[in-house]
Amino acid sequence: MRNPNNIIIATLTLICCTVMMIASCDKTDTPAEGENGKIILHFSHYNDGEPLEFDTMKYTNAAGNNYLVNEIQYFISDIKLHKTDGSIKLIDDWDDIHYVDTDIESTQSWQVYDPIGPGDYEKISFTFGISEEKNQSLMFLNPPERDMFWPEFLGGGYHYMKLNGKWLADDEIVKPFDFHLGIGQIYSGGVIEPDSITAFVQNYFEVELPASSFSISDGETINFEIIMNIENWFQDPNTFNHDEWGGDIMQKQDAMKLGCENGQEDVFSIYQVFIVEN
Amino acid sequence: MNCETGKMESWKNGKSLVTLWLQLLSPFLLTLLSFSSCNKPVCSEPFEPTPYEIEIPYGFPTQLNVPEDNPMTVGGVELGRTLFYDGRLNGRTHPDSLMSCSTCHRQENSFEVGVARPHPFGVTGKSTHHAMLPMINLVWNPGHFGWNGSVGSIEEDVLGVISDPSEFDSSPEKVVNTIKSIPGYEALFVNAFGSKEITIDKIAKAIAQFVRTLISANTKFDKYLQGQVQLSPEELRGFVLFTTEEGADCFHCHGGYGNPLFTTNKFYNNGKDSVFTDPYDRYFITGDQMDKGGYKATTLRNIEFTGPYMHDGRFETLEEVIEFYSHDLINTPQIDPLMHHIANGGIQLTPNEKSDLMAFIKTLRDEEFLSNPDFGKPLLFPDDNSH
Repeated sequence: MRNPNNIIIATLTLICCTVMMIASCDKTDTPAEGENGKIILHFSHYNDGEPLEFDTMKYTNAAGNNYLVNEIQYFISDIKLHKTDGSIKLIDDWDDIHYVDTDIESTQSWQVYDPIGPGDYEKISFTFGISEEKNQSLMFLNPPERDMFWPEFLGGGYHYMKLNGKWLADDEIVKPFDFHLGIGQIYSGGVIEPDSITAFVQNYFEVELPASSFSISDGETINFEIIMNIENWFQDPNTFNHDEWGGDIMQKQDAMKLGCENGQEDVFSIYQVFIVEN
Repeated sequence: MNCETGKMESWKNGKSLVTLWLQLLSPFLLTLLSFSSCNKPVCSEPFEPTPYEIEIPYGFPTQLNVPEDNPMTVGGVELGRTLFYDGRLNGRTHPDSLMSCSTCHRQENSFEVGVARPHPFGVTGKSTHHAMLPMINLVWNPGHFGWNGSVGSIEEDVLGVISDPSEFDSSPEKVVNTIKSIPGYEALFVNAFGSKEITIDKIAKAIAQFVRTLISANTKFDKYLQGQVQLSPEELRGFVLFTTEEGADCFHCHGGYGNPLFTTNKFYNNGKDSVFTDPYDRYFITGDQMDKGGYKATTLRNIEFTGPYMHDGRFETLEEVIEFYSHDLINTPQIDPLMHHIANGGIQLTPNEKSDLMAFIKTLRDEEFLSNPDFGKPLLFPDDNSH
């Protein structure tokens, strides 16, 4: 028979070790201090150089349409950090597709999970929308991302963006517009019905943020403010006229093409960068 | 002897070690003991109810709205179902005054009252302010219940019904006392909550647990979504209309392939009126002028059984609803931007298109939901009564 005192000692030791292990659990996932940097992305929305005011018919686009914006919802994905040595850091963690909603404050900042290696970076780029490879139907089952689904008949997957508003039409009536971007369709014979679709068009595009060079050191956190300049969706290089395209464009590839070319040009910018020393 | 000595030394060493360990660890052990005893009532068995597991249907959201302080259990759901159907739940026992949730939330109408009572009324005859909403898939409601989203949880809704003059017109005390007086309920509360104590909060929690089990996921469309059946040509044409902007564009507010709940659970002004006189619209909640005349987009599951339609029950049939969206929309500053067909007064469907759209909407009929015995009235109540 074993000595009961040894059993007591062993039991107490086991309890002590177990508790010490539990107490230390929270610390195991924390990277060593100073090992890498962090970036936080903030998303804001401007019009004509000022923070966007919603539901106010105070804006005029390049085509001369007076308009208001009610809400904006969109995805950005595949954020790339380009180093000066030519290497690219792809933010490719599980959270690599980010949803932004002007009605949901929590979506308007994104603390990127990935640690960022120290060094000099010459620019930041990202995909507006979702790439063909990743844009799979039913990958978002929960709201709010779920409500961005793009109908199967029209190509499936998810809207890249919903920019909803109203404009004063040429007949002096205020009408809604749904500037929705996603997978386009090519129709045969001018018949806008799913049976007439001959091809789908992947309209997602890459955005290279101008003046986005930065340096990051060990232990630093850099906050980037990514600005969507709303007026530029409707200008440069293409003048987008709501009177010409009407209130809906999901089944008008020519209209989506104009919008995407404008988006690639200068809709996005980095307005401010600030650094927090850890 | 050496061996004996060795034992003795070992014993002595062991004793001193034990003493040292106990001295060092005694505060720690006391803390551990106090923690471990926290959740266990003295001299009683721990309450370990059987969890009620919800199986997520294909394509449905994985995030359920189940409050942390009201986890679903088999006993809780059973008690909730019994209370839901017990006519004495309003705190009255006279046969002419009985009223429970099921008086208006009728399974055959997808837990709605139906067109027989377009303006549902309570035990005193006073009508509710709005028409009813069905109880379908509420476990996925994000916490904005009712036409204007004023109710934050099912539990809160139950408590509101009890005192609402247009519903139970009762009080928590009357309800609790009545349920307490019915033999057999104590055992159900023990089974559900581990205690025979009956409170209004437990009553609300149990009913909420039962309501969260009311899941509709077995329609023809669900089977189509999983590739088990094909839609008829008419239904398919209707689905195309439903889910395209150049068609009827229902999907932005009512879901579809990517959102099989067939509602976003959001609020929209859908162009019914030019003047907004209802004090209980979405504006009542948000104070945002743009929300005047805004109401929740209802789920379209079993919609053919949940008339009358709209917040005020103005349309008795689905044909009237489709006619409204086709030709009768009213443009106001508050119209939701998703109603882009407003410029033409509506979606301008032809008679054939209306028929196709209706055919698709009927693929959202869930017969199993309407007759599932798990959702139905218990054969007997705890006192062997059949109220």
